[in-house]
Amino acid sequence: VTERALLVREAGLLTTVQDLGRPGWSALGIPAAGALDPEALRIANLLAGNEEGAAGLEITLVGPVLEARGDVDLAVAGGAFGPTPGHVVRLRDGDALPLRAAEAGRGSARGAVAVSGGIDVPLVLGSRSTCVVARFGGLHGWPLRKGNVLPVGRPRRAPRLDATAPALPAADRVTLRVLPGPQAHLFGEEALRTFYGAAYRLSPESNRIGFRLEGPAVDGDPAAREMPSEGTALGSVQITSDGQPIVLLAERPTTGGYPKIATVVAADLGLLVRAQPGAAIRFAPATTGEARSLLEERETRIGEWARWLRD
Amino acid sequence: VRAVGEYSWLLEFDDGDERKANERARRAAALLHGLKPDGLVEAIPAARTLFVEGSPLFEAGILVGLEAGEIEVPPSPVASHEIHVRFDGEDLPAVSAVSGVSKEELLETFCAATYTVGFLGFSPGFAYLYGLPRRLHLPRRGTPRLSVPAGSVAIAGPYAGIYPASMPGGWHLLGVADAPLFDAGRTPPVLFAPGDTVRFVP
Repeated sequence: VTERALLVREAGLLTTVQDLGRPGWSALGIPAAGALDPEALRIANLLAGNEEGAAGLEITLVGPVLEARGDVDLAVAGGAFGPTPGHVVRLRDGDALPLRAAEAGRGSARGAVAVSGGIDVPLVLGSRSTCVVARFGGLHGWPLRKGNVLPVGRPRRAPRLDATAPALPAADRVTLRVLPGPQAHLFGEEALRTFYGAAYRLSPESNRIGFRLEGPAVDGDPAAREMPSEGTALGSVQITSDGQPIVLLAERPTTGGYPKIATVVAADLGLLVRAQPGAAIRFAPATTGEARSLLEERETRIGEWARWLRD
Repeated sequence: VRAVGEYSWLLEFDDGDERKANERARRAAALLHGLKPDGLVEAIPAARTLFVEGSPLFEAGILVGLEAGEIEVPPSPVASHEIHVRFDGEDLPAVSAVSGVSKEELLETFCAATYTVGFLGFSPGFAYLYGLPRRLHLPRRGTPRLSVPAGSVAIAGPYAGIYPASMPGGWHLLGVADAPLFDAGRTPPVLFAPGDTVRFVP
């Protein structure tokens, strides 16, 4: 049996090995990490014949160029990267696949690449995800670099060559539904009006820790500024001392002391992480019941897709 | 109990003293970590709160009793650590000037105290240590450093801490320790757990 692998000919802007993360270590300060767009990774994995949580690659804006060592099947979801997004690509030994964005600066900013058999890097604390901020997991703790060789696992099931993965929405004007954050009550009426009324611009200074938004300052109660640290939720919208929102994501510090005005509902985080830098982001209030229903709908969608592929 | 997300909550312990509130948060976290109720994903103690994240399977009813202190939580076993420090930190002169003690007194005061790991966060293995003598409580530096060396022993506000890796930071640097605070490949991956006690030795 020949060892199968992917050679990284070009790394892309920020390409990392990700699975669904390592929850359960936050009390020790260790962020869960994992794919920013877990729905995209799950869909891509199912298409490639993998378990939903197999390790794949997260592409950011500019994708990598990968060369197959041995025959390798892969699939991209969540964004239009490469020649046939949403379909399985069969690479023969030596074939190179450029995963360029179909239209630079348009469509989804991120994509998930699933490789039939999964990226077979070692499990670290129960996950193969790269924790970029603390430099562990993934491939030696780093985003991909030119010349890296990614080991590929043994496929369990054949990929579905005839299937098209559902496209996930990506837009340059996005409204994120949010729940009230733990410090929402410390912000005055005017601050809340600003927060819910303004369009914020997604800053290019965004990363896997959090997405920075730029726009009208949200002024909070000054007492909220020196808050004792508390555990942070995925999607928490914290307001920095200059009144700008940051949406906390997979590699956020597990505790933090900025006041949090809102929490983006989990089902809408995909819209945020697929948005291009410069996209207009608005917030709209939702209830916990609505947010839970949206998650259930997402699970139903993915479940139906998985069943359709199996049958 | 305040809902934060679909299946996450924040328990607030409003004892006046932060150390007491933190101790309750730590004990509540230890109880949940021990009980492992169905659907529990994270239980993160912090200064005055316990953040709990669950899956849809998690029964949040237990949180009300935990917050109200109605559930008896026994103290869990803790480890004691002795950390050897080379006290040559860049901020020793400033800290000594602002707190009005000589460098020798400063180090004596700092090393005489026994510290308790209140909670972790900020970065893997970074522990917020309670027990810093009051005369050494200083606000953070006005401008954070872009890079603090790994192992830096530092203070800010009521806390002492050690930077597990090189990273930006706004605390006052007293010295450097070579303790292995975080190593993802080790079991357990971090040296300090909530509730552990720590002493610094020159």
